Amino acid sequence: MSDYSLPNPGTIEAVVSDEPRGTLLETLHEWVITVDHKRLGILYILYSTFFLLVAGAEALFIRIQLAFPHNHFLSAQVYNRFFTMHGTTMVFLVGMPFLFGFGNYVVPLQIGARDMAFPRLNAFSFWLTAFGGLLLYYSFLGGGGLYGVGNAPDVGWFAYAPLTARSFSPGHATDYWALALIVSGFGTFGTAINIIATVVSMRCKGMTLMRMPLFTWLMLVVSMLTLVTITPLTAAQFMLLIDRYLGGHFFDTQAGGSSLIWIHFFWIFGHPEVYVLVLPAFAIANEIIPVFSRKAIFGYPAMVAASVGIMFVSLSVWAHHMFTVGMTSTSNAFFTLSTMLVGVPTGIKIFNWIATLWGGRIRFTTPMLFCIGFLFQFLIAGLTGIMLSVSPWDWQLHNSYFVIAHFHYVLVGAVVFCIFAALYFWYPKATGRLMNETLGKWHFWLFLIGFHITFDTMHFLGLLGMPRSIYTYQPDRGWNFLNLVVSLGGMVQGVAVLIFAYNFIASLFQGEIAGDDPWDAWTLEWTTSSPPPVYNFEEPPEVHSRRPLWDLKHPDDPDWEYEA
Amino acid sequence: MVNEQNLEQGNGELIEIPAGTAWPIILAFGAMLCFASLVTSIGVGLVGALLTGCGIVGWFKQVFPHEHHAFVPVVRRRFVPASSRRTVAHIQVSEVHRAYLPVESYPMVAGLRGGIAGGIVMIFPALLYGYLTQHSIWYAVNLLGGAGVAHWTNPSTADIAAFHWNGLIVATVIHAAVCSLIGLLYGAMLPMWPKRPILLGGLIAPLLWTGLLHSILGFVNPAFNARIAWGWFALSEILFGIVAGIVVTRTGKIRTHQALPFVLRMGIEAKEFNPPKGNQP
Amino acid sequence: MSTVSTRLPVRAAEWHLPYKGRVGMSALIAGESAIFTIFVVAYVFYLGKSVTGPRPSDVLEVPIIGTICLLSSSLTIWRAERAIEDDRMGSFTAWLGATIVLAITFLIGTASEWKKLIYQDGLTISTNLFGTTFYSLVGLHATHVVIGLALLSSAFLFSLFGRVDSRQSERFGAVALYWHFVDGVWVVVFSVVYLIGR
Repeated sequence: MSDYSLPNPGTIEAVVSDEPRGTLLETLHEWVITVDHKRLGILYILYSTFFLLVAGAEALFIRIQLAFPHNHFLSAQVYNRFFTMHGTTMVFLVGMPFLFGFGNYVVPLQIGARDMAFPRLNAFSFWLTAFGGLLLYYSFLGGGGLYGVGNAPDVGWFAYAPLTARSFSPGHATDYWALALIVSGFGTFGTAINIIATVVSMRCKGMTLMRMPLFTWLMLVVSMLTLVTITPLTAAQFMLLIDRYLGGHFFDTQAGGSSLIWIHFFWIFGHPEVYVLVLPAFAIANEIIPVFSRKAIFGYPAMVAASVGIMFVSLSVWAHHMFTVGMTSTSNAFFTLSTMLVGVPTGIKIFNWIATLWGGRIRFTTPMLFCIGFLFQFLIAGLTGIMLSVSPWDWQLHNSYFVIAHFHYVLVGAVVFCIFAALYFWYPKATGRLMNETLGKWHFWLFLIGFHITFDTMHFLGLLGMPRSIYTYQPDRGWNFLNLVVSLGGMVQGVAVLIFAYNFIASLFQGEIAGDDPWDAWTLEWTTSSPPPVYNFEEPPEVHSRRPLWDLKHPDDPDWEYEA
Repeated sequence: MVNEQNLEQGNGELIEIPAGTAWPIILAFGAMLCFASLVTSIGVGLVGALLTGCGIVGWFKQVFPHEHHAFVPVVRRRFVPASSRRTVAHIQVSEVHRAYLPVESYPMVAGLRGGIAGGIVMIFPALLYGYLTQHSIWYAVNLLGGAGVAHWTNPSTADIAAFHWNGLIVATVIHAAVCSLIGLLYGAMLPMWPKRPILLGGLIAPLLWTGLLHSILGFVNPAFNARIAWGWFALSEILFGIVAGIVVTRTGKIRTHQALPFVLRMGIEAKEFNPPKGNQP
Repeated sequence: MSTVSTRLPVRAAEWHLPYKGRVGMSALIAGESAIFTIFVVAYVFYLGKSVTGPRPSDVLEVPIIGTICLLSSSLTIWRAERAIEDDRMGSFTAWLGATIVLAITFLIGTASEWKKLIYQDGLTISTNLFGTTFYSLVGLHATHVVIGLALLSSAFLFSLFGRVDSRQSERFGAVALYWHFVDGVWVVVFSVVYLIGR
């Protein structure tokens, strides 16, 4: 930012202003060269919305294939590619970009900054993520397989060795997987650095750490976790590429290498990654629940401590994905106990949210509905998580649909619900118009019903012994009816998401004008106009409490009188 | 917040923001092409390397020696903070709630100390039991330690009565851990019933604990369960509790956090309980 | 709204935040440490697991000169840092130049070591597990040295042409932090590869 004194007015390079819109090309050019955190945030969100639709369509294809026994709607090869790409896309191209998109858009506004700490790095990170995603999907066309046809990765999203070795996965599909994720991983790494530097160094006057909005706090925690989470994956993928291109032996069991170490490395990334995805969901709930309960968040310090606690505990639980590889009973006991320990800080959070709701004047708007759905579903997801953390139970149900149901409860029931809540919540800030509430409620209820039809049923399929990643199944297993139900639930969710997509686009033109502060909220982003000007705030704001806008709205009863 | 006095002034004022630049996207595209060349062709890599080089140089020029800025004119606006709900309600916490909570209790450490003391005293009836019934003081030790020695399957009585050093170690660890944990739990429970620590520790807790163990010991440690003498067990538990209770009563009481209002301890606000402002930094 | 300003807490504390470049660089270092940890763990895990030779004790020689050079470069860059803070630009350029010379000496040492290993001992990255883990760990570190060298050289060139002054000291501080990290990693890599693993 302003490292040096202002140059004299004669040297001003370009004056960007809100003149009438230029041609399409000019607008496009502005968006491509932008370093503005708000535009990049919007780009992130549009990008991940696009991939949400793509990966959602892949999921529907998977479900159509599994709706009936002995179905041949997809070929087995295409089926493998689809579940690999569904998982990879949802985690790397939907989940993380969405959450970093919100972080990008909201964090500088909440801390009263003009932009991110490193605006150019921010643009660079976004484009790396975006090009990484495109490279991954280019594999459908360019990943020359055995027969010279396009071939997407088909090794599962965790790409276990030795399946990924040259001899078992010829062609370039697996390389596309590794390369695309390395590229987008660097992008994620850059964004994480940027958010940390922004939160630490760009806060406005008076915004001490214990006055930061909880959304910002959790984005800081998530970014710190991301730093040590995405990098092990990048390192392991470099090892994989060394094996595949230079003839290395990291995961080559013939030469003394170990496939087990890949599993360790992957889950050292993979488990904290779950928290990278779910902590921003907590962050969103932390903003939305108090606003629509008309109460300050209950137990702010406990929330901060719990988030930091989750960050540390989540680094020591990865091997609960590996109970079936045959570890010593000491390791099993350690990872069982450390996994159960995660339940403590998350339990604190759930109680705090409930206590925030308690006695509040709750307004059931669409964002609030999604957050309440999140509360219930996250509770169930946490409980099945504790069931699975018990290693003997996991031995029975590992790689079954029970596990699939559990993590979809986390990733859809918690993360996607909160993402939708955040989209409804901050849409008026970004566009100046509110999304349609009626359509929003349709979206919520259909999505909720579809979600429960799909994923509640999946638990039973898992208990009945249906393993994950299977192409099809025999009709005499007793899974037919439940599978059909799961697939139908998936369709209901698909319809709900289409309603959302229509609402998202239509509200841009027909939505009700929002005004600066449509939700009667309390953080700094609602003090500026909707959409905010390119410089965010005319004057750098100064805050005296956790709810600066509350202080302004209630000058007779400001918050800083209560906060130590 | 927005400084009200300055709102009307400064029309035509400019704010500097980072200038837009195409170099990051070029660098990102170049880097992606470099990686993509591994799965496509060397030509792609060359283009990628070229773009990467241009991107680095261009970016460097953007930020060195001075970061480029664009200037945007400020559009002055007035933000009027308005809330549709003007009335503020505060959680009412009546003082009557507080009358039933102890404002003075024993410190948690007292429970821990009691647990340790009780654990030491408890050893004697256990050893006595082993000596009287099996003529071996190691009998009780091995019954407990066997829980930790996983390969002990169906041991004979003579086996259990003999000395096993790993049985002794495991038993010591289990005994020490359980006694201090129970002591800690006892300390945590003390505020619930602070007036009668010996009754709580010496009678109620041992009976509950014995009952709990009686119902689950069959799953936890079948060998132990088959041989345990519940009378002796309850006796040592009660001895443990009485000793722990005595140790606790000899410790002085302290004022608990209960003296502070609940809302304050939980970090939320309430109009009635403004913290004393005087001693804050 | 005039009532607002009358009811503000009286607290005119100084508002000072850390320099963003330093924070960003620390974050980068935290992430890089995770990458190195994974490679070091892989190296240690595969120690002695090679099916065929050569083994580390057969071929590795302790690179004493390179290590001394790299470690002392931390000292010289620290002197350069102090010089730029005090605006002694001549001294800055000299210490920076010394750092670069030391770094290049280290890289030459690594290159000659690799040359010996490849042509004399026949150890390549695909020979055995030792080769795979050794070249990737040491190579990863060398890559970081090269990147640091590029940063330092550009700073050196600019200071030769007098384009650097004490106003850049915070930025240079971030670069120096990175260089200290590269040195610190070498201590770990050196102990794991040449002391423990040999």
